[in-house]
Amino acid sequence: MTIEFSVSKRQLEMREAIRGLTKNVIRPQSLAWDRAHGVPEDFLRNFAQLATSMGSSAMRSGLGEEKGQQEKTGGNVGTIMASEEIAWGDAGLLLCLPGPGLGGPPVRGSGTDEQKERFFGIFKDMSGPLRWGAYGLTEPGAGSDVAGIRTSCRKDGDYWALSGRKCYITNGARASWTVIFATIDPALGRAGHRAFVVEKGTPGFSVGRIEEKMGLRASETAELVLEDCRVPAANLLGGEEKYQTKEGFMTAMKTFDNTRPIVAAMALGIGRAAFEYATDFVRSNYALQRHTPRYAAIAERLARIGRNLHAARMMTWRAAFMADQGMPNAKEASMSKAMGGQAAIRACIEAIEVCGAEGTIAKDHQLLEKWFRDIKVYDIFEGTGQIQRIVISKRIMTDLRAF
Amino acid sequence: MISFEPSEDQKLMIESVAAFAKSALRPKIRDFEKARQIPEAVRKQAHELGLGTLLVPEAAGGPGLGLTTAVLLEEEVGAGDPAAAFGFGGPGAFGLAVLELGDEAQRARLLAPYAGADGHSRFGAVAWGEPKALADRPGFATTATKKGDVWVLSGEKAYVVNADRAGDYVVFAQVDAAAGWDGLGAFVVRRADRGVSPTERSTTLGLDAASFGGLRLDGVEVKEEDRLAGGADFGAALVRFFAKQALLVAAREVGLCRATFDVTREYCDTRKAFGKPIGHFQAVAFTLADRAMDVDATHAMVVRAAAAWDAGPEGALSGAARWERDALLYTAYAVSYAHEAAMRCGDDGVQLHGGAGFMRDYPVEKAMRDAKQLALCAMTAEHADQLAAALELGQPLSLGLVLPTPETQNAFV
Repeated sequence: MTIEFSVSKRQLEMREAIRGLTKNVIRPQSLAWDRAHGVPEDFLRNFAQLATSMGSSAMRSGLGEEKGQQEKTGGNVGTIMASEEIAWGDAGLLLCLPGPGLGGPPVRGSGTDEQKERFFGIFKDMSGPLRWGAYGLTEPGAGSDVAGIRTSCRKDGDYWALSGRKCYITNGARASWTVIFATIDPALGRAGHRAFVVEKGTPGFSVGRIEEKMGLRASETAELVLEDCRVPAANLLGGEEKYQTKEGFMTAMKTFDNTRPIVAAMALGIGRAAFEYATDFVRSNYALQRHTPRYAAIAERLARIGRNLHAARMMTWRAAFMADQGMPNAKEASMSKAMGGQAAIRACIEAIEVCGAEGTIAKDHQLLEKWFRDIKVYDIFEGTGQIQRIVISKRIMTDLRAF
Repeated sequence: MISFEPSEDQKLMIESVAAFAKSALRPKIRDFEKARQIPEAVRKQAHELGLGTLLVPEAAGGPGLGLTTAVLLEEEVGAGDPAAAFGFGGPGAFGLAVLELGDEAQRARLLAPYAGADGHSRFGAVAWGEPKALADRPGFATTATKKGDVWVLSGEKAYVVNADRAGDYVVFAQVDAAAGWDGLGAFVVRRADRGVSPTERSTTLGLDAASFGGLRLDGVEVKEEDRLAGGADFGAALVRFFAKQALLVAAREVGLCRATFDVTREYCDTRKAFGKPIGHFQAVAFTLADRAMDVDATHAMVVRAAAAWDAGPEGALSGAARWERDALLYTAYAVSYAHEAAMRCGDDGVQLHGGAGFMRDYPVEKAMRDAKQLALCAMTAEHADQLAAALELGQPLSLGLVLPTPETQNAFV
């Protein structure tokens, strides 16, 4: 092992291929998808097939992978690099990609072999209808305070009866199944949590409202309603014995250690897009054949955006590198997410300012305006910037269990 | 692959330097500060560890380590005492200037003495800055004029690190007045040469064990063989020198960030208020979390930049054509980030200690003063930002804008 920053010829080729695709195919359609609230199925199908042929896990579902796949896909580092590139083209697309999505990691991490076979099996056939998985944790009354979920579950013979509401669920309406977190007794806190794979069409399981969002409008965000929804006992993730320990809650949290650097990388893709846009704007409007001090202040601002993105990118690479090496990386994953979200938001805000009044006029700078709307949620979902700081704090301070 | 893990060899070196920093530097920082120097015994130890000559090539008797190894070790020294890194014997900035601007023969000839047994008592320096900007033209007031087969240097240089300790200097002077910042030359001058006299040592805000002064040159004669031509492109070599020197300073800042964070974290872990450790309050813990990110980010950025220089065109992630541009860019990013992060770590270190932080019983007030002083060494954040922006925008590098000069901001070199 030594300090190095190089990629194999194969990885380089893959990155170039993805760059070409994002630049020539994805970016030009980005605004249309935003307005249409979705990406056409034909495109998703072609993209999924291409992803499989390229062996890119980021392009498939963007979320972690099976052991032993690292060699082929470049592991977590390969995934975050590809994620940044695709988000540069269009961030909404990444959330629309068919596959288990955020539901993948808990099933992979906690599911029984039978469950993995059953729930991942439906994604194997690429010729049939497109399929998605989803992740249902957040509730109207429990966002950052995950332990405070109120959706209840009660064992009833060979079934569990679930009742409650889940909100802000990515691909919630279209998902073939959703990992739903519920509690046997709120008084038990984390120990009372159970995770279920709830399949579409289960009686008592329905879609509530589809949200109107500030950005990422190509992505579907749904409310899910469970009314005495009877879920087969075989769908309790990991089986009964899994919950004799504290595992239940940890199942939810494990997901985030893997996905936070990826989300950070996506944020950096958007931030870099805005940064490059602003740089091009300055190059063609200020710097051209003029004496430098005229734009020195703007140049400094560009440098600041660039360096903060670079700093966050290094943190993201490092968190992913650690994951690939099997090192514990919860703190580093949170750091990458906190820094990535903030750096990218600043980049998008400042890119508009750099472009001046023109920056907010959607007619001329529609992408800039879109990125500004898209980016904000990256410091919110998958744990807000404040939650990341709680995770970091607990790993810094001695015996800090809660504030 | 992408890897942030040092090699086994590097780990061993880091360990021994860290042990030295912990035992020989850290407990003595106030002594060094009062004495305004590093005592000979400690300098000797540092010299035996090779700390003054890390980058000196093997041809000149040095270990010829890469920049990556150098920044890792500088970080450890910085964690002990950032001032010490300036106060050890060694060629310092002089060495890097000779490496970047000199030819092979000059490197071997000028740097070899530093690898000797008395290396710990030899200092090199770079005389770059000047007290005042010129009103009538861009460039330096110090001139170098060719007379027969020698160059004659006259003028006054300022903001010179180790001016009073150095035996060798690289002096920058105006060779072609009409060419402004593109008309500079670099000349090797010895303390013993006729007409060379260091000016009075300054008292400074921080880094007390380092020395900051100036140099007067009064008709100093320099032979042609002691002119550093800078290879094919003097300006490009000059920018490389500043960037790499600033990266070494940034590495010391990483050490400062880490050490300051560690003592502050420890204080917040043990200091109790309102019935619990103050670190168990969110306002305090979040501040610490932010500084923890500064520590990790500066380290990663400095290492990334150093690795880019070491990889060269063949190993560059973005391809051979852009490698130097990228190495410069990553360096500029790392330098401005480290300058600001060190200041934040120093500032919050004092803040979270409360009144105690203001007292010299604790090391944090020194860290805060050192941080500001470090941020004015080699390259300021403003210059690093201008350099980064010029690279991002694809502008030609204007030396007057991207290097610290009396016209914009002077920096200690």
